[in-house]
Amino acid sequence: MIVDLMTLSRIGVAAIVCWINFVLIDQIFKLPEKGGVSGASAIAREIERGNGSLHGGYMMGNIVSSPDASAGTLLASCGVYAAGIPGGLFAAVLVYIGNRICYDPGYAGTTGCISATFIVYGFTRIGFAASDFIAGMVIAILTIQGISYIHASRLLARIWEVRSR
Amino acid sequence: MNGQEAALLVCGVIAIYAAIRVILEKNTMRKLPFLNVVSFAISGSIVLITPHPLAILAAAAYFVGSTFESNAIASTWAGGPKNE
Repeated sequence: MIVDLMTLSRIGVAAIVCWINFVLIDQIFKLPEKGGVSGASAIAREIERGNGSLHGGYMMGNIVSSPDASAGTLLASCGVYAAGIPGGLFAAVLVYIGNRICYDPGYAGTTGCISATFIVYGFTRIGFAASDFIAGMVIAILTIQGISYIHASRLLARIWEVRSR
Repeated sequence: MNGQEAALLVCGVIAIYAAIRVILEKNTMRKLPFLNVVSFAISGSIVLITPHPLAILAAAAYFVGSTFESNAIASTWAGGPKNE
Protein backbone atom coordinates (compact mmCIF):
# COMPACT_ATOMS: atom_id res chain seq x y z
CA MET A 1 0.00 0.00 0.00
CA ILE A 2 1.30 3.47 -0.91
CA VAL A 3 0.01 5.30 2.20
CA ASP A 4 0.07 3.32 5.44
CA LEU A 5 -3.11 2.92 7.45
CA MET A 6 -1.69 4.65 10.53
CA THR A 7 -1.03 7.89 8.64
CA LEU A 8 -4.47 7.74 7.00
CA SER A 9 -6.25 7.29 10.33
CA ARG A 10 -4.25 10.19 11.85
CA ILE A 11 -5.31 12.40 8.93
CA GLY A 12 -8.92 11.26 9.45
CA VAL A 13 -8.89 12.17 13.14
CA ALA A 14 -7.24 15.51 12.29
CA ALA A 15 -9.98 16.21 9.71
CA ILE A 16 -12.69 15.66 12.35
CA VAL A 17 -10.90 17.88 14.90
CA CYS A 18 -10.42 20.65 12.29
CA TRP A 19 -14.08 20.38 11.17
CA ILE A 20 -15.38 20.77 14.72
CA ASN A 21 -12.97 23.66 15.44
CA PHE A 22 -13.89 25.77 12.42
CA VAL A 23 -17.65 25.03 12.32
CA LEU A 24 -17.97 25.76 16.05
CA ILE A 25 -16.07 29.07 15.86
CA ASP A 26 -17.85 30.21 12.68
CA GLN A 27 -21.20 29.48 14.31
CA ILE A 28 -20.20 31.29 17.52
CA PHE A 29 -19.22 34.34 15.41
CA LYS A 30 -22.64 34.15 13.64
CA LEU A 31 -21.35 33.65 10.09
CA PRO A 32 -24.62 32.00 8.95
CA GLU A 33 -26.66 35.03 10.09
CA LYS A 34 -26.07 37.26 7.06
CA GLY A 35 -23.62 37.87 4.22
CA GLY A 36 -20.67 39.99 5.39
CA VAL A 37 -20.19 41.54 1.93
CA SER A 38 -22.55 41.79 -1.07
CA GLY A 39 -20.73 38.90 -2.79
CA ALA A 40 -21.38 36.53 0.13
CA SER A 41 -25.10 37.36 0.07
CA ALA A 42 -25.18 36.77 -3.70
CA ILE A 43 -23.57 33.31 -3.29
CA ALA A 44 -26.14 32.50 -0.58
CA ARG A 45 -29.02 33.50 -2.86
CA GLU A 46 -27.66 31.35 -5.71
CA ILE A 47 -27.32 28.38 -3.31
CA GLU A 48 -30.91 28.90 -2.14
CA ARG A 49 -32.09 29.07 -5.77
CA GLY A 50 -30.42 25.69 -6.36
CA ASN A 51 -32.47 24.03 -3.55
CA GLY A 52 -29.90 24.75 -0.82
CA SER A 53 -30.53 26.59 2.44
CA LEU A 54 -30.11 30.38 2.75
CA HIS A 55 -28.39 30.51 6.15
CA GLY A 56 -26.01 27.68 5.26
CA GLY A 57 -25.38 29.58 2.03
CA TYR A 58 -24.48 32.74 3.98
CA MET A 59 -21.84 30.79 5.90
CA MET A 60 -20.45 29.25 2.68
CA GLY A 61 -20.45 32.68 1.02
CA ASN A 62 -18.64 34.20 3.99
CA ILE A 63 -16.03 31.42 3.89
CA VAL A 64 -15.44 32.18 0.20
CA SER A 65 -15.30 35.96 0.64
CA SER A 66 -12.97 36.37 3.61
CA PRO A 67 -10.49 34.26 5.63
CA ASP A 68 -12.69 32.77 8.40
CA ALA A 69 -11.97 30.15 11.08
CA SER A 70 -11.41 27.48 8.39
CA ALA A 71 -8.62 29.55 6.82
CA GLY A 72 -7.35 30.24 10.34
CA THR A 73 -7.19 26.51 11.09
CA LEU A 74 -5.33 25.77 7.85
CA LEU A 75 -2.79 28.57 8.27
CA ALA A 76 -2.32 27.70 11.97
CA SER A 77 -1.52 24.08 10.97
CA CYS A 78 0.89 25.42 8.34
CA GLY A 79 2.44 27.72 10.94
CA VAL A 80 2.89 24.97 13.54
CA TYR A 81 4.28 22.67 10.81
CA ALA A 82 6.92 25.21 9.71
CA ALA A 83 7.78 26.95 13.01
CA GLY A 84 5.86 25.62 16.03
CA ILE A 85 3.65 27.84 18.23
CA PRO A 86 5.31 31.12 17.10
CA GLY A 87 4.53 30.10 13.49
CA GLY A 88 0.86 29.58 14.37
CA LEU A 89 0.64 32.97 16.10
CA PHE A 90 2.41 34.61 13.13
CA ALA A 91 -0.27 33.03 10.92
CA ALA A 92 -2.94 34.58 13.19
CA VAL A 93 -1.47 38.04 12.48
CA LEU A 94 -1.56 37.32 8.74
CA VAL A 95 -5.20 36.15 8.98
CA TYR A 96 -6.05 39.37 10.86
CA ILE A 97 -4.46 41.44 8.05
CA GLY A 98 -6.28 39.27 5.47
CA ASN A 99 -9.62 39.96 7.19
CA ARG A 100 -9.02 43.70 7.01
CA ILE A 101 -7.97 43.49 3.32
CA CYS A 102 -11.22 41.62 2.54
CA TYR A 103 -13.34 44.29 4.27
CA ASP A 104 -14.46 41.85 6.98
CA PRO A 105 -14.96 43.44 10.43
CA GLY A 106 -15.10 40.07 12.26
CA TYR A 107 -12.61 38.16 14.37
CA ALA A 108 -13.64 34.56 13.49
CA GLY A 109 -10.46 33.97 11.45
CA THR A 110 -8.07 35.30 14.08
CA THR A 111 -9.82 33.42 16.91
CA GLY A 112 -9.91 30.19 14.89
CA CYS A 113 -6.23 30.54 14.07
CA ILE A 114 -5.17 31.05 17.71
CA SER A 115 -7.33 28.17 19.01
CA ALA A 116 -6.13 25.87 16.20
CA THR A 117 -2.49 26.74 16.97
CA PHE A 118 -2.82 25.35 20.50
CA ILE A 119 -4.99 22.38 19.41
CA VAL A 120 -2.52 21.36 16.68
CA TYR A 121 0.46 21.85 18.99
CA GLY A 122 -1.31 19.73 21.65
CA PHE A 123 -1.86 16.93 19.14
CA THR A 124 1.78 17.03 17.99
CA ARG A 125 2.72 16.20 21.62
CA ILE A 126 0.70 12.94 21.50
CA GLY A 127 2.06 11.47 18.27
CA PHE A 128 0.31 13.45 15.54
CA ALA A 129 2.22 15.45 12.92
CA ALA A 130 1.26 19.03 12.00
CA SER A 131 1.17 17.89 8.34
CA ASP A 132 -1.75 15.59 9.28
CA PHE A 133 -3.70 18.71 10.23
CA ILE A 134 -2.89 20.47 6.94
CA ALA A 135 -4.32 17.49 5.00
CA GLY A 136 -7.12 17.15 7.59
CA MET A 137 -8.23 20.77 7.16
CA VAL A 138 -8.23 20.41 3.35
CA ILE A 139 -10.50 17.34 3.75
CA ALA A 140 -12.71 19.25 6.24
CA ILE A 141 -13.22 22.18 3.84
CA LEU A 142 -13.85 19.70 1.02
CA THR A 143 -16.83 18.26 2.93
CA ILE A 144 -18.39 21.73 3.31
CA GLN A 145 -17.52 23.53 0.06
CA GLY A 146 -16.57 20.82 -2.39
CA ILE A 147 -19.03 17.90 -2.44
CA SER A 148 -22.67 19.02 -2.41
CA TYR A 149 -23.69 22.63 -1.72
CA ILE A 150 -27.30 21.46 -1.15
CA HIS A 151 -26.48 19.05 1.68
CA ALA A 152 -23.67 21.16 3.17
CA SER A 153 -25.83 24.31 3.33
CA ARG A 154 -28.72 22.39 4.91
CA LEU A 155 -26.42 20.85 7.52
CA LEU A 156 -24.94 24.27 8.40
CA ALA A 157 -28.43 25.79 8.59
CA ARG A 158 -29.54 23.02 10.96
CA ILE A 159 -26.58 23.75 13.28
CA TRP A 160 -27.43 27.47 12.99
CA GLU A 161 -31.01 26.79 14.12
CA VAL A 162 -29.66 25.20 17.30
CA ARG A 163 -27.17 28.06 17.76
CA SER A 164 -29.75 30.86 17.31
CA ARG A 165 -32.33 29.45 19.73
CA MET B 1 5.87 7.26 1.90
CA ASN B 2 6.19 9.40 5.04
CA GLY B 3 3.52 11.56 6.69
CA GLN B 4 4.49 14.71 4.85
CA GLU B 5 4.28 13.04 1.43
CA ALA B 6 0.92 11.47 2.36
CA ALA B 7 -0.44 14.91 3.33
CA LEU B 8 0.88 16.36 0.06
CA LEU B 9 -0.81 13.55 -1.88
CA VAL B 10 -4.16 14.26 -0.16
CA CYS B 11 -3.84 18.01 -0.93
CA GLY B 12 -2.89 17.35 -4.56
CA VAL B 13 -5.72 14.91 -5.24
CA ILE B 14 -8.30 17.24 -3.64
CA ALA B 15 -6.94 20.24 -5.62
CA ILE B 16 -7.34 18.36 -8.92
CA TYR B 17 -10.82 17.09 -7.97
CA ALA B 18 -11.99 20.61 -6.99
CA ALA B 19 -10.50 22.12 -10.16
CA ILE B 20 -12.51 19.64 -12.25
CA ARG B 21 -15.68 20.57 -10.30
CA VAL B 22 -14.97 24.28 -11.01
CA ILE B 23 -14.86 23.51 -14.73
CA LEU B 24 -18.00 21.31 -14.69
CA GLU B 25 -20.18 23.70 -12.62
CA LYS B 26 -22.15 26.00 -14.95
CA ASN B 27 -23.33 28.65 -12.44
CA THR B 28 -20.60 31.30 -11.83
CA MET B 29 -21.52 31.94 -8.17
CA ARG B 30 -21.59 28.24 -7.36
CA LYS B 31 -18.13 27.80 -8.90
CA LEU B 32 -16.61 29.94 -6.12
CA PRO B 33 -16.89 27.41 -3.21
CA PHE B 34 -15.01 24.86 -5.36
CA LEU B 35 -12.39 27.50 -6.15
CA ASN B 36 -12.11 28.04 -2.39
CA VAL B 37 -11.25 24.34 -1.93
CA VAL B 38 -8.52 24.70 -4.60
CA SER B 39 -7.02 27.66 -2.65
CA PHE B 40 -7.00 25.62 0.58
CA ALA B 41 -5.28 22.67 -1.09
CA ILE B 42 -2.67 24.83 -2.87
CA SER B 43 -1.88 26.88 0.29
CA GLY B 44 -1.37 23.63 2.22
CA SER B 45 0.86 22.25 -0.55
CA ILE B 46 3.03 25.41 -0.58
CA VAL B 47 3.97 24.86 3.08
CA LEU B 48 4.32 21.06 2.71
CA ILE B 49 6.72 21.47 -0.24
CA THR B 50 8.71 24.30 1.42
CA PRO B 51 8.97 23.64 5.19
CA HIS B 52 10.48 27.04 6.05
CA PRO B 53 9.00 29.67 8.44
CA LEU B 54 8.67 32.17 5.60
CA ALA B 55 6.55 29.65 3.65
CA ILE B 56 3.72 30.63 6.05
CA LEU B 57 3.92 34.14 4.58
CA ALA B 58 3.81 32.74 1.03
CA ALA B 59 0.82 30.48 1.84
CA ALA B 60 -1.07 33.30 3.60
CA ALA B 61 -0.33 35.73 0.74
CA TYR B 62 -1.59 33.20 -1.80
CA PHE B 63 -4.66 32.34 0.28
CA VAL B 64 -5.66 35.92 1.10
CA GLY B 65 -5.04 36.96 -2.52
CA SER B 66 -7.25 34.22 -3.93
CA THR B 67 -9.97 34.89 -1.32
CA PHE B 68 -9.84 38.58 -2.20
CA GLU B 69 -10.26 37.71 -5.89
CA SER B 70 -13.27 35.47 -5.15
CA ASN B 71 -14.70 38.30 -3.04
CA ALA B 72 -14.19 40.74 -5.94
CA ILE B 73 -15.75 38.38 -8.51
CA ALA B 74 -18.78 37.65 -6.28
CA SER B 75 -19.32 41.32 -5.35
CA THR B 76 -19.02 42.48 -8.97
CA TRP B 77 -21.44 39.77 -10.07
CA ALA B 78 -23.85 40.86 -7.32
CA GLY B 79 -23.81 44.46 -8.59
CA GLY B 80 -21.41 46.00 -6.06
CA PRO B 81 -22.03 47.64 -2.66
CA LYS B 82 -25.11 49.58 -3.85
CA ASN B 83 -27.10 46.31 -3.75
CA GLU B 84 -26.27 45.57 -0.11
